[in-house]
Amino acid sequence: MSSHLSEEQYQSGVKAVWRATAILSIVTVVEVAVALILGPHLPKLVMNTFYVLASLAKAFFIVGEFMHLKYEKRAFMLSLGVPLVFLVWAIIAFATEGHYWNILNHPK
Amino acid sequence: MAEVLEIQEEHHADLLPTPDNGEGGEKTAMNISYGKTMMWYFLLSDAFTFSAFLIAYASIRLAQAWWPNPNLVFKSFPGLGHANAPLAFVSVMTFILILSSVAVVRAVQEGHRMNQKGVMLWMIGGIVGGAMFLGCQAWEWSHLIAEGLRPFYNPFGPDANGITHLVEEHMAVSPGPIAFGALFFGITGFHGFHVFTGVCINIWAFFATANGTFQRRGHYEMIEKVGLYWHFVDLVWVFVFLAFYLM
Repeated sequence: MSSHLSEEQYQSGVKAVWRATAILSIVTVVEVAVALILGPHLPKLVMNTFYVLASLAKAFFIVGEFMHLKYEKRAFMLSLGVPLVFLVWAIIAFATEGHYWNILNHPK
Repeated sequence: MAEVLEIQEEHHADLLPTPDNGEGGEKTAMNISYGKTMMWYFLLSDAFTFSAFLIAYASIRLAQAWWPNPNLVFKSFPGLGHANAPLAFVSVMTFILILSSVAVVRAVQEGHRMNQKGVMLWMIGGIVGGAMFLGCQAWEWSHLIAEGLRPFYNPFGPDANGITHLVEEHMAVSPGPIAFGALFFGITGFHGFHVFTGVCINIWAFFATANGTFQRRGHYEMIEKVGLYWHFVDLVWVFVFLAFYLM
């Protein structure tokens, strides 16, 4: 990152940050509003899918804009993103196992 | 032999960009400085630590026949007594952390312009936000402890209809799933510890900026590294918020 930014680059950077701030705030407000208004009426699976997608969207803006990863080299992004793929396996495996314990411990 | 060493030394001296302490400046293959690369890979390892905690939380929670409803556990707000305000206080905490993160991004941007005063001003914003978040968490913890929640005792159990109900008297057997308290205090505590260290590091960065350390060095890369850590704390909170308060 060069320490000599043109005024134009600086202004567009500042604008991008406030835009990300607005998006993060709106997503959080929508999440809470949905949890309180729709939460009691919709199936848990629908609600949880919505929460996970909204949280991933927030993570995307924090990492991309605030942590500036969007502007780094593609190879660097991949070196951070690819290892996280293991988590997908871990979540599926441990969630399945937890559910299995539930069936074992609380038979119908 | 001595000749070879001499040549190597000369060569090495050529590679050093400035006579400063060498922090920043050198580029790696991925066009990002060594210091920032290492901060990113530290954060990647920290992300795995938090993921391990949250995945343990998910598997333990899924193994229970019943789990407390967050809307009925986290419904208190300071100064409102027994008012029913589900998720209100934690939303305020989330906003404080987001705004604190924004302040530090602005400090990084002012650093690119070599604006010492600007960096100092926005760093104060980041520090105040972090301290406010810690204060909120202290209130939330003490409130839950006052309600009876402990690492190995959970007063939030199901009533006859399976609705979350706070059992005021201390029972021999925990009314709700015992793991709830340990997971809540453990994971929000580990996150809070990151916030605390982040605030300390931000305070250090503020004073280093005020002393003109980075101005003399010719770049504010240290603010970027400190900022990466601080945004990571905000990033983790997104998933703690998801796991404990929304799902």
